[in-house]
Formats: sequence, C-alpha cells, structure tokens
Amino acid sequence: MTLQERFIAAFVESDRWKLYISGLGITLEIALFAGIIGIIIGTLLALMKLSTTEEGKPTLPNYIATIYIDVIRGTPSVLQLLIMWFIIMASSNNGILVASLSFGINSGAYVAEIVRGGILAVDKGQMEAGRSLGLSKWATMRYIILPQAVKNVIPPLGNEFITLIKETAIVGYVSLTDLTRVANQIASRTYDAFMPLIGVAVIYFVIIKLLTIFLGKLERRMRRSDIR
Amino acid sequence: MISVKNLCKEFKNTDGSVTKVLKGINYEINKGEKIVIVGPSGSGKSTFLRCLNLMERPTSGHIIFDDVDITDPKVNINKVRERMGMVFQHFNLFNNLTVMQNLTLAPVKLGIMSETEAKEKAKGLLERVNLLDKADVYPISLSGGQKQRIAIVRSLCMNPEVILFDEPTSALDPEMVGEVLDVMKQLADEGMTMVVVTHEMGFAKEVATKVLFVDEGQILEENTPEEFFGNPQSKRLQEFLSKVL
Repeated sequence: MTLQERFIAAFVESDRWKLYISGLGITLEIALFAGIIGIIIGTLLALMKLSTTEEGKPTLPNYIATIYIDVIRGTPSVLQLLIMWFIIMASSNNGILVASLSFGINSGAYVAEIVRGGILAVDKGQMEAGRSLGLSKWATMRYIILPQAVKNVIPPLGNEFITLIKETAIVGYVSLTDLTRVANQIASRTYDAFMPLIGVAVIYFVIIKLLTIFLGKLERRMRRSDIR
Repeated sequence: MISVKNLCKEFKNTDGSVTKVLKGINYEINKGEKIVIVGPSGSGKSTFLRCLNLMERPTSGHIIFDDVDITDPKVNINKVRERMGMVFQHFNLFNNLTVMQNLTLAPVKLGIMSETEAKEKAKGLLERVNLLDKADVYPISLSGGQKQRIAIVRSLCMNPEVILFDEPTSALDPEMVGEVLDVMKQLADEGMTMVVVTHEMGFAKEVATKVLFVDEGQILEENTPEEFFGNPQSKRLQEFLSKVL
C-alpha cells in the first residue's frame, strides 16, 4: 500500500474522519466539564486550606482539604476513573458525566494548590487594609483578594487544563470513544496503526498549540492593567 | 476613649524561641488627642499601634475602647474596626479597584451608606485633598503621595472616631511627605483623634498633644511636645533625639 492509500483508508474511507471529529468532541467535552468542576472544587479547597481562626490556628475545613488533596494526588487518575465508573457511580451509564466528575475531582486537587499560591501571592497589605475598614475576612477575600489572585493563576491554570486534555486519553478504559480510542478502533479495522495514531497525535498537538496561543494572549491582556 | 492595660505581645520565632515585642504597656488615649509615637526601629511602636485595632492580637493585656474590652473574643472586631480607621506605611489601596471604588467599597458593603451617599461623601473628601480628578483611575497610576492621601480619605469615608497612622510618610519620596502631612494637620485641626507612629519630628512638635517614646517594648517617656523635645528626661531619649534631630 502506498502512503496515500493508507491515508485514505485511515481518514477518508467509510467517512472515518467523522469518527475522529466525534472522538475529539468527546475529549473536549470531558476536558471542559472537568475543567469547570476542577476550578470550582479547587477554589473551594484553596479557601478551606487557607482558613484559620482569628488566632491563626488551622480549622476543621483546613484539615478536610488537606486530606482530600493528599488522597487525590496520592492515587493514579486511571484508578480514580475506574473506581468512579465501577463502584461509586456504577448505576450510571452516562460515561461522559462519570468521566467529567472523576477528572474534575482529580483536577480540583491540583487547582487547589494553584489557587492557594495565587492568593498567597497577593500582597498581605490588601487583606490588612480590608480588615482595617471593618470588612470580614470573607468579604475582603471576595472583593479584593480573589479578583487579584485570578491574574496570578491564569498561566498555571492554563497549564493544568492542557494536562487535563491529554489525561482524558484514558477514558477508553470506561468504554468512551474519545479521540485516542477512535485511533485504536480504526487501527484495528484497517490493520494499520501508523496513520490513525500519528493523525490523532497531530490533532492533540494542534488543539493544545491553539490553546497555548490563546492563553498567551489572555495573559498579556491581563498584564496590561499592571502598566501605567 | 482607648485605654491600654498591661499590653504584652510576643512573637514565636521559627527556632521556637520567643521575642517579647511589647512588655506591659499601659496608656490612656482621650477623645480629640493627637498621640505621636516615636522610637528606634524594632522598638515595638508599630506593633503597639497595630494592637489597638487588633491587627495584631495581644498575647496578654486589654484594649478598652469606649468601655468595651475589644480583646474579648466575643466582641465582633469588624464592628469595632468600622469606628477605627487605619493608614498604612505602604498605602495598601485596593489594586483591583478604582479610587472611587476604593473609597466606597467598605461603607456600601457594610451597609453604613447607600451607594449614592458614599459617592457623594467620597467626592467631597477627594475635593478637599485636591484629587477629585483621580476618582476613576486605578491606584497603579498614582504617585506615592497621592496614594497616601487617598488612603487617608478611604479611612475617613467610614466616619471613624479615631485614625491610627502606621508610619504614613516612611515609604514616600521626600518631596511628597509634605502633602500627606498637610492633610494630617488639617484632620488634627478639625479635632480628629489620632495616633501616629512616625519619624517626622517636625509633625510631632507641631501637631501632637502628647509624644510617646517607645523603646524595647515599653513607653519610656511621655510628655507634651515642648517638654519632650526641650527637656528629655531619660538618657535613651536624649541619645535618640540627638540622632534624629
């Protein structure tokens, strides 16, 4: 077979390109939902980890967050996905929901550390000024600290989202037909792994490259308000 | 108005040892007084000031503000702080908000004024410090002197009964010190109760009703500015004044 024939077999024949598109759709759908869940859980965990009493001692939510982060970071994400699919949500057959939740819960642990770092990087005087006016810790957090922390967390958060997109390649384990699984299925049908695997690699690469460019632009725009 | 009783503050160091910053301070601040606190760096004068509104929690001792012991954990410290303004060395204007938003955030969110009332008040105060044209800019585009004047206005927007100044001119370029001190003098003339930690001896002489000399966590000397500068009693104060004057 010539290279051209192999290309046609992998992408054109029987409208196979449609499979790649639907696989990409599933990959991005899971990554997007998981990303949103991760940011919500991560921000909550970060706030919990930063919560102290007025005397500066850690609180119960603080300990809970630490345990969550330890457990999630201490176990493989494939295993978390399988546990979610076969045990915790065994009654659900909505694979995308299960996968999004599983990755979201996983990502939350990493986002928590990112957000915590972003909050701690905001000048301590900002909190003091808010408190000195009589605003509560949470009001100051909400109106002053978090808006400034957002700027700090955009670059590492983008990085986390990129990792997330690639990590979803394991959802084949719970019989979801994402981009990676599509490549596998087509390879087993055409008896040619080269074209689909390289093709899918190129698709991942392009998506992530586009995302990187977008994030770079976003970062530059946010920095603009720091310049006089 | 504020009485400080046997105030002690200790900081734990990373190696487990304890540094005693304040060693039992007793003092009484009356309404309308302008207390200026001077002393060498590391003497505890800023810590003393920051204990007054519990920015630092005292290790022991009591701060009584209008007959309420605010060191009591049951006291809602946020309510107390609404009545005690604070101005910081590094201004600490909210970087994510415009000048106007900086001024109105607390009064509006705390339900003390409506948005319109707060804006009106802020405008009036900005006009007084000649910064009305800066209402819609972000702090980043202001000079140090402008930032500090706005920080003073921010605390004034809460209608405080007393304002604590923590080295308000120490982070300023020399040519901007005057504009900030002028605003503070104006406030003093209007009868505001003020507690000021500063290195500006000229300000102390001119404005203070009492000058305190804090050294090694204690008030070593306390007097009217005339006596304080003209007739210092302790050896430590004489040494200190010979260096700074």
